[in-house]
Amino acid sequence: MDIAVLVKEVPDLEARVQVVQDGGALDVENKRVLNFFDEIAVAAALQLKEAGGGGRVYAVGAGSGLEAVRRAIAMGADAGFLVDDPAVDGADPLTVARALAAVVRAEGFDLVLAGRQATDDEAGLVGPMVAELLGVPCVVGVTAAEPADGGLVVGREVDGASERLSVPVPAVLTAEKGWVEPRVPQVMGLMKAMKAEIGRRTLADLGVEPVPPLAAAGYHGPRSRPAVRMVEGEPAEAAGELVRILRDEARVL
Amino acid sequence: MAIWVICEEHGDGLRRTTQELAAQARRVAEDGEPVVALAVGACVGRAGWLDGRVHRVVKVAGGGLVPFSADPWVAAVAAVLAEAEPRLVLWGEGTRAREVMPRVAARLGWPAVANALALEAADGGARVLRPVLGGKAYQWVSLGGAPALVAFRPNSFDPEVAADLDTRVEERSAEPCEDRVRVLERTAGDGGRVPLTEAQVVVAGGRGLKDAANLALLEDLADALGGAVGVSRAVVDAGWADHAIQVGKSGKTVSPALYVVAGVSGAVHHTMGMDTAKVVVAINTDPNAPIFKYADYGVVGDALQVLPALAAAVRALGT
Repeated sequence: MDIAVLVKEVPDLEARVQVVQDGGALDVENKRVLNFFDEIAVAAALQLKEAGGGGRVYAVGAGSGLEAVRRAIAMGADAGFLVDDPAVDGADPLTVARALAAVVRAEGFDLVLAGRQATDDEAGLVGPMVAELLGVPCVVGVTAAEPADGGLVVGREVDGASERLSVPVPAVLTAEKGWVEPRVPQVMGLMKAMKAEIGRRTLADLGVEPVPPLAAAGYHGPRSRPAVRMVEGEPAEAAGELVRILRDEARVL
Repeated sequence: MAIWVICEEHGDGLRRTTQELAAQARRVAEDGEPVVALAVGACVGRAGWLDGRVHRVVKVAGGGLVPFSADPWVAAVAAVLAEAEPRLVLWGEGTRAREVMPRVAARLGWPAVANALALEAADGGARVLRPVLGGKAYQWVSLGGAPALVAFRPNSFDPEVAADLDTRVEERSAEPCEDRVRVLERTAGDGGRVPLTEAQVVVAGGRGLKDAANLALLEDLADALGGAVGVSRAVVDAGWADHAIQVGKSGKTVSPALYVVAGVSGAVHHTMGMDTAKVVVAINTDPNAPIFKYADYGVVGDALQVLPALAAAVRALGT
């Protein structure tokens, strides 16, 4: 089974972020990692490749995602591709999806995996968009998958219910926490990743015309809460006072 | 032009988020611009709340739409919207929006924004607010006059709106659509409780609860408040609770009116899942715990004592 994994590089959650230029831009510390959920997708792809009796696992990234692609190779992916085009950074998700879909279509696939969402924008748009562009079904938030009767049996949790689904291949699945615990790459993997030839494609190579992105109209930092008001006293006393405040002052009870 | 709202059902009626979106659409609509609700599948028979509150309800029934399944929903929604050319299409965040909205966007070639928190009228269109970098910053995005799809987190808007319109109802049937994904098995969900992401009150706990059995204290306070229970990543990693109720980066994002959090230190992993809660109450034994920076009210104390005391105080209020 040939499996494409869509990977995105995101700022580390601990990276320092500042709103600058009077809300006109963001200054983000340059600490970048492979998106948490994409890491799960890579590990799941490797597991499925084994269960399905071989094939190829390749990672596809876009824009400033070179290290994410290398990380996927270090984890065990066989190859990596990058949509290397200045028009991709800050592009509309649909442009990114069209570019990734074009790479996947050209390379061939039985399955496409992606993370449920990226930890930076938490949007989860690109994976299902790629499914639609490839004309294949899509299941989001997957926590289990195994080959069965030429397709897959897929498990997931939805709004407190568990589902088992029969999914034909090719398909797109997005990975949720709990599917596979990603392994930390070994030294051998890191060496391989460093030397790996990454297949680079421009939007023109792929025949993708960028769609104009929506206009950014300013940034602001997280809502600053007033300093916390401590409620003193023994548990029963503090609880009583807190409930009074929540009812009479905060008006949430 | 018009603003469309994609409906979702809950129980015998509509999801609260659908009501919020319809109400906000009325507030930001331009003079004379209609608000249209699209009720697909199971929503068809549950759309009573919309009567008087939107200008038009388009009901789409047909095979494969009940219970929800992505392929037929994508086909049905895209077919209606393609004809309608709306200015804005509003969705409530959740599994359904996650499965359907991006595919409709790709099919129609329209831009989409997920996980939005605010919608305002602006010069020449509208603007929406969305988190970037895991909620360390927020970005306003301008939507021009061209159609755009936007999904909003639950509890982003007030659902109150006057039922003062003469609502027109249109009934349509969907073209038959092959459903490529087949359900083999589906267990019943947690029917009684409000879903975590929609709850007006969330009671969350972390490792400070010391033992899996003490999660019952969260349940008890959540019951007293009519809310839902959440937990930190550490609790899930320790095997005390299911990932489905985890709040934070690798779990759910919640925006309740009241978030009570006990025994959680306040790592960014957790706070990015709850920082848009309106009122936050933190309980922790350590007065210097970072969680107090994200809280409006704090109690320094042992969660095992403060949680039951709070539940008792809340119940005393009700009697």
